[in-house]
Amino acid sequence: MKLSKITFLLVLVALLSSCIRKEPLNTECDIVACTLPGDVLNRSAQIYNDRVVLIVKGDVSLKNLAPEFEITPGATIVPPSGTHLNFVVPQEYTVTSQDGEWHKTYTVEIRRDNEINLDYKFQNVRQVKAVGGLCSYDVFFEVNSAGQEDWAWASANPAFALTLQGSTPSTFPTYQGEGIDGGKCVTLVTRSTGSFGQSAKKPMAAGNLFIGKFDMTNAMSHPLEATQFGTPFTRVPVSLSGTYRYTPGDVYTQANSAGKLEEVPGKTDEFNIYAVFFETMPGREWLDGTNVLAADNDQIIATAVIPDKGAKSDWTEFSIPFEFRPGKTVDPEKLQRGVYNITVVMSSSIDGDLFSGAIGSKLEVNDITLMCQDKQ
Amino acid sequence: MNCKKYLAIIIAFIASLPAYADYYAFDIDSIGLGDRWYDLQYEVNAGTNLGGASPIPLPAEIRKILHFNPKLQLQIGASATKWLGRDRRWGVQLGVRMETKGMETKAQVKNYGMEIIQDGKKLKGRWTGRVSTKYSSQQLIIPITAVWRLNHRIKFNAGPWISYAFSNDFDGYVYEGYLREGDPTGDKVVFEGDSQASYDFGEDLRNFQWGMQAGVSWAAFKHLVVNANLTWGCNSIFRKDFKTVSFNMYPIYLNFGFGYIF
Repeated sequence: MKLSKITFLLVLVALLSSCIRKEPLNTECDIVACTLPGDVLNRSAQIYNDRVVLIVKGDVSLKNLAPEFEITPGATIVPPSGTHLNFVVPQEYTVTSQDGEWHKTYTVEIRRDNEINLDYKFQNVRQVKAVGGLCSYDVFFEVNSAGQEDWAWASANPAFALTLQGSTPSTFPTYQGEGIDGGKCVTLVTRSTGSFGQSAKKPMAAGNLFIGKFDMTNAMSHPLEATQFGTPFTRVPVSLSGTYRYTPGDVYTQANSAGKLEEVPGKTDEFNIYAVFFETMPGREWLDGTNVLAADNDQIIATAVIPDKGAKSDWTEFSIPFEFRPGKTVDPEKLQRGVYNITVVMSSSIDGDLFSGAIGSKLEVNDITLMCQDKQ
Repeated sequence: MNCKKYLAIIIAFIASLPAYADYYAFDIDSIGLGDRWYDLQYEVNAGTNLGGASPIPLPAEIRKILHFNPKLQLQIGASATKWLGRDRRWGVQLGVRMETKGMETKAQVKNYGMEIIQDGKKLKGRWTGRVSTKYSSQQLIIPITAVWRLNHRIKFNAGPWISYAFSNDFDGYVYEGYLREGDPTGDKVVFEGDSQASYDFGEDLRNFQWGMQAGVSWAAFKHLVVNANLTWGCNSIFRKDFKTVSFNMYPIYLNFGFGYIF
């Protein structure tokens, strides 16, 4: 019959023009993995979006190393994977996507002893633009005894940028503020994450700063695992001290199952500052929000947790000794091999990682010092 | 708009008419020449729209259609046909119809441009993963078509239409994948499990559209015709300045329905 024939033809024309086409070439240009040949790495590579940090064992020379890279399928890297270079200074690599349209330059840094500072005054920040230049936030860095920049500190600012609630650095949860006697401090403020945060069931972001790496990849799906705590440490810590002040926000709230903040009457927000000294194990090179203070975490050797977490309108000094977990001791041989890690964590809302706290809670930390036993 | 109600009334009305064992619309032999009245023919019709808004051809970013539901889309309308010439084989038809267009899709995409808007700020990026989309539009459409009569039962029509949308929705969410913030070199953020990000491009849909239609009508009885029309939009459902979805999407619908000829 004519009608069905014509209809069939018309439908056919519509379908033919709508077939799935050949898969386009990859546009990404990522370093996915990085290793060094031989047994020279002390930790697995830390890969950021434009930076790779490799920490090698103490007796490895940096002068002639040939890192090997795994990159996005189809992409190319210059200089090629396996090229011998002098890593006394960081080297740059450029990755070009499979379709040739996109490039990314990585700075690859190889460190030997990863000597970190023990005194932190939060004097140095770099402003990083995010979300196409809509906002910028502070990234804290230190200058170590060798005069090199040390990016030990990390925060969740990059994830907060995605909520579009930030504009200038001081609208972010973590930024540089005015400290004692004209110096600087780190200011941590618990913020609302707006409609985007709420739709993602993450309606608040506590101000936070920690020694470790913030893994942006995990920020949405597994926020507790996005904070990768710890960096290699070759000393035995004795105490954690510093100067802070704290003003809790007015209304304590808690995220309900729909991701909305609900008031919890009668509750006042608290901050937290603590340090954890722990042993790394294969596949467990860092701690995260799920286990950093867990009582049953067998990696933890010693912790120092501030006992008084309440309001302090004036600058207040604290000094907390590291308490060793029962049965835990430091093995000097492991210490020397760089098996242990340390982290220092600060947060403007103690349960901010669980999206509970008071919007506006403000913790300012002027300085932090890790006291250690003398090196043997 | 209460389409279902109107449709029910029209169907009931048509069903109540005596079925003539006569042929299509009008028989030229029965028309006295010069009887101008019969040169004009009126029809009311109702039907359902099957189709969706689709890029043509499907862009390479779309790797797989995981789910497609055209939903129940209705249309009601009326038309007037002016038959021309001595044998009334050709004519011109002017119509007006109200209709809903819409669909629900889930697709697997690679490097798909998207943006999340809030408080006037835009988070742009490239998405690789799954996208769920809901499109719905309520439109008033005016087609002007040429008609050609094959015989007493079958007539064809083809011609342009213009439409005005008085309600437009295009929204959805992305899930099970990852976002590259800004462009493919930006920060990578993975969305897994129940984490998702929603988007709403309803404001970026056009109100005025134009397109073409072509179809066929078959006179089952003297007054009752069965219509099938393919309509397609010639401009994208999105405004010209909207760049986030990097390809144009055209509404393509196949309409099946019944008409009553007076």
